[in-house]
Amino acid sequence: MAKSAQRPMRFTHVRLENWRNFTNVDTPLDRRVFLVGPNAAGKSNLLDVFRFLRDLVAVGGGFQEAVRRRGGVSRVRCLAARRKPAITVLVRVGTTEEPRLWEYELCFHQDVRSRPLIKRERVSQNGSLVFKRPDAEDEADQERLTQTHLEQVYVNQEFRELVDFFPTVNYLHVVPQLVREPDRSVGRANDPFGGDFLERVAKAQEKTRKAWLRRILDALRVAVPQLDELELFRDNRGTPHLRGKYKHWRPRGAWQTEDQFSDGTLRLMGLLWITLAGSGPLLLEEPEMSLHPEVVRYIPQMFARMQRRTGRQVMISTHSADMLRDTGIGLNEVLLLEPSAEGTTARAAADIEEATALLEQGCTLADVIIPRTRPANVEQLTLFGD
Amino acid sequence: MSRSAPIVFAAVEGMTDEVVLRRLIDEIDASTGPVHVAGGKANLRRKVNGYNHAARHLPWVILVDLNHEADCAPALRADWLPSPNRLMLFRVAVRTVEAWLLADAEQIAQFLRVSVARVPRFPDSLIDPKRTLIDLARHSGSRAMREDMVPRPKTGRSEGPAYASRIMEFARGSWRPSIAQNHSDSLRRCREALRRLLFDYRARGSHT
Repeated sequence: MAKSAQRPMRFTHVRLENWRNFTNVDTPLDRRVFLVGPNAAGKSNLLDVFRFLRDLVAVGGGFQEAVRRRGGVSRVRCLAARRKPAITVLVRVGTTEEPRLWEYELCFHQDVRSRPLIKRERVSQNGSLVFKRPDAEDEADQERLTQTHLEQVYVNQEFRELVDFFPTVNYLHVVPQLVREPDRSVGRANDPFGGDFLERVAKAQEKTRKAWLRRILDALRVAVPQLDELELFRDNRGTPHLRGKYKHWRPRGAWQTEDQFSDGTLRLMGLLWITLAGSGPLLLEEPEMSLHPEVVRYIPQMFARMQRRTGRQVMISTHSADMLRDTGIGLNEVLLLEPSAEGTTARAAADIEEATALLEQGCTLADVIIPRTRPANVEQLTLFGD
Repeated sequence: MSRSAPIVFAAVEGMTDEVVLRRLIDEIDASTGPVHVAGGKANLRRKVNGYNHAARHLPWVILVDLNHEADCAPALRADWLPSPNRLMLFRVAVRTVEAWLLADAEQIAQFLRVSVARVPRFPDSLIDPKRTLIDLARHSGSRAMREDMVPRPKTGRSEGPAYASRIMEFARGSWRPSIAQNHSDSLRRCREALRRLLFDYRARGSHT
């Protein structure tokens, strides 16, 4: 029991109303979640909920800022929503043993000046209410409803554990071009697209960084066998760079900096780095991009072992049949997003009628999922060529 | 030139089979060429004729689990590939490659952290070797091993999330095919057939 108590917390459940593509989603979340669905089904939008919660409490964040960054209430609200209803985000946070340790609900709309306004905010601990808004003070002063209690250090002692959990959410989607040309995202800390990836690496303690880069090098060699050494250095302007030494016909090999690394090398490096750094839920968008399918095939097992060691949650959006071919992925770990005129719905692969029968007959999860996520009339795309 | 280390092409069902087969090919002083990992038995079967066609001039090995598809290995072979080309080696693991791994009882016991007395003596006669292996892992003294290998409730799966990774770790590292073959006829015959394949290929090479 003591051991499980040390396991890091994770999101165990999410319920959304009118959040972006989702009019109504209510689903448990496993320690490892694979989000699958057609293009534009809302995989990124679902992941964005957890970033939104992080933004609520992050330094320089807050409720107003988190909504503003997303283009305002009307952009966040589901297009399929009728009239102008409120947006609701409800998450449960806990462990496998105690999935309802915390529950947080935020329901908001906008006032006449298009400002985001809280309609309801609630925190429960183990099923008993910690607070619920609007309270009497909110009734007296509507201005209070522009900020959540999460962001208020003076009122959040009682649920500090929850408040401290949200900022541990980690998201990285390395765009190789941004890593190579960090000028494009200068000054952006926590850039989800990896513009500050090298800064992040540079910020780690030297001893840790060296140990991690060594581990990453070992793993990278599987995909890039000619890579011999990997290290961080700063140029004369103090800008950090990664460089790798490649085996070469010259006896001493050749050094290359990150601007010469291939897309696949950079993306795999980013993926491995973020797997080591941090302890909170890890959100990954299509980690298969630029990688060889045979490399992708081993990603689920890599995360399974990482999770067993750290207990860290991973949510992965993917289109990759190679990833889904992994025989260790549970039906409860796959969340299938299905768009409709009434918004996107989400359901676990365990609820797909044919899934169990197909798997029993030696089909892979990819055989179950891919036909369900392909566009109905995809062959029409060929006509565009005319 | 290339006669010193001939290249053997291979096709298998899944990633664990690949590691096992690579070990066996290494043993016969050949090097493994491109390995076609089908991802499922059904996918492998669809491609068998293509591989057989390619095996007219180059040595190929296909490794399949017998499972419960046929009564015995020859029946499965006759069904899948009635007329193999001369350089095509079609091998069937009885009932799955896990039996071959269990056949090295000392090492698997040590790897899984279980008592060697728990490992069955005649893995070829097991109805479901994979299940036996996983049941052994349930008794593992290592929590990490149990968490990786044993299927979790509600997953609808017969294996744990990192089962394949653990099996590959074992097959690549501590598994000893030369010892294991003493307890698995199916493995012994596969090793012999691989040697013969190489012999045939070399003999043929010296004629051309």
